[in-house]
Amino acid sequence: MQNSIIAVSPIGDIDQNIIESIREAISSAYGFGTVVLNAFDDITFAHNHTREQYHSTAILEKLEESIAAENVLKVIAITDKDLFIPILTYVFGEAQLGGKACILSLHRLMEGDRPAIICRVTKEAVHELGHTFSLRHCKEKQCVMGYSRGTQDVDRKGSKMCRYCTVLLNDELKKILF
Amino acid sequence: MSGTKILIVDDELIMRESLAGWLERDGHEVHKAASGEDALEMIKDTRYDILLVDIKMEGMSGLEVLEIIKEDDPDIAIVMITAYGSISTAIEAIKNGAREYLLKPFDPNELGVLIEKILRSQAQEQENLYLREEVKERTRFESMIGQSRPMQEIFHLIEDVAPTGSTTLITGETGTGKGLAAKAIHSQSDRCFGPFVSVNCGAIPEHLMESELFGYQKGAFTDAKENKKGRLELVHTGTLFLDEIGEISMRMQIDLLKVLEDKVFYRVGGTQPIEADFRVIAATNKDILEEVKKGVFREDLYYRLNVISLQMPTLRERKEDIPLLAELFLKRFANEINKPIDRIDRDAMDEMMLYEWPGNIRELENAIERAVVVCKTQKIMPQDLPIFSSDAVCTPLDMSLREMEKNHINEVLEANDWNISKTAGVLGIDRSTLYKKIKLFDLEKTD
Repeated sequence: MQNSIIAVSPIGDIDQNIIESIREAISSAYGFGTVVLNAFDDITFAHNHTREQYHSTAILEKLEESIAAENVLKVIAITDKDLFIPILTYVFGEAQLGGKACILSLHRLMEGDRPAIICRVTKEAVHELGHTFSLRHCKEKQCVMGYSRGTQDVDRKGSKMCRYCTVLLNDELKKILF
Repeated sequence: MSGTKILIVDDELIMRESLAGWLERDGHEVHKAASGEDALEMIKDTRYDILLVDIKMEGMSGLEVLEIIKEDDPDIAIVMITAYGSISTAIEAIKNGAREYLLKPFDPNELGVLIEKILRSQAQEQENLYLREEVKERTRFESMIGQSRPMQEIFHLIEDVAPTGSTTLITGETGTGKGLAAKAIHSQSDRCFGPFVSVNCGAIPEHLMESELFGYQKGAFTDAKENKKGRLELVHTGTLFLDEIGEISMRMQIDLLKVLEDKVFYRVGGTQPIEADFRVIAATNKDILEEVKKGVFREDLYYRLNVISLQMPTLRERKEDIPLLAELFLKRFANEINKPIDRIDRDAMDEMMLYEWPGNIRELENAIERAVVVCKTQKIMPQDLPIFSSDAVCTPLDMSLREMEKNHINEVLEANDWNISKTAGVLGIDRSTLYKKIKLFDLEKTD
């Protein structure tokens, strides 16, 4: 049985309140404890000078490598940099579907007042981690695994998983834990 | 089983991988081809809903891929991907049948909206096709007939199963009459005065399935202008026939399981629980237990559906029924087009008895329909049955069924110049089955 801890890995200087809120949301959604783990701070290796953005897939690969020796179930990196994948202009985050690592960018989620920001980033953190538990985008508008095309969509959706995603998550947890 | 099947064709690994990862998280089943040549190989094995093709590639260009695929399968949606500055080529691609084009890198929004738009339009096309098929299906067979032992056993089983009200799983090859067996169970059950509602899970796209089954409340989504009852509501007191159950998505499996357990459901966008009293009969030509082992069909749903099972015999297992069925179809088609054909020549009947009928009753029906159209006399002659070549009649007696099937499919493919739709039509099977057979028998077009 693997260690039932999810690591939250801030990249650079991330607001402590945001990290704590994310930890709380993850514990509540997945029922696992969390730990803060500083994997690395420098992501210039993933920087693209033409786009002035950071390649999320490259960061994920390094993240997975960095935590390979750590006894954690999953890891979510948090950055304030703007992320991209080559075919898309930007992404809020990226996750290895059914894998170990995911990353969330706060860059485009920081509009509005403090409670709105906290609510938004915690939803997206739970969302990205959901992908690592093999959950795909959900069609239920209220489900946290719903696909968000912009911050308005993130604000509109709920912070919890719908019935389908809960069933699929439980199936996945049974596979992982037993 | 999963969502939309998408094939990405791009010679740049990084573009393929990043797009595939994104679309997979969106729930699509994504395959990747590193060249146009690879893509053409892959579409022989799998029927894709959408192809995303980079215009500029080493070797075969995206435009060439488009041209070849469109010639064989005009219905497939192809989206061309191009770099900024090559819009004129993209427009040329649209003129040649591409559905849309995208300039890379594209906004995630743009990609999502485009995929949704294509799926909606495909859903509409498929719904129309489904409705046409449903009308055809109603007049397809007058009744289940057969004097053979396997059919007599089926009739006895139906008599035993019908009054129990239990959920039943009917298995059997395509064209063996699974739908007819379901209707027979319904008509001999206590629910015979209730409706028989059929849902072809393979023909209704996943995104329409939920509203089809559960109905929706006005305002549940953009096109929901008024309340609509789903088939679960319409089937109240009757029998729900879930055809091609092996095709439903994991998400729909969860929904179905819940409804089968509780007999309560909600319309899409609705908050009031709706109770429905119905019996479920499901059918499939797949080995569902194998699908369970592969993890693509829920085990709990399988056991819930497979309370009673019924295996339909193939036509080759009940050859003595061929004359009876052939006469029935002859009478119907001759009447329909008002031709004075009243019998089948003995040699023609002998040929039919020798043939193995991989498409089963549906293939026999198609063969007779065709024969009635081309027949110039009062009786169907061997030459009126165009699917039989002289080779088929002289089949060596040591040839296995598998070899015969392979030869026949290959001959029909060659006769139709490898046009998949036409060949599938002649064989009386659907295109995806034909693609699977081509792969299974490793058939290739001869130059």
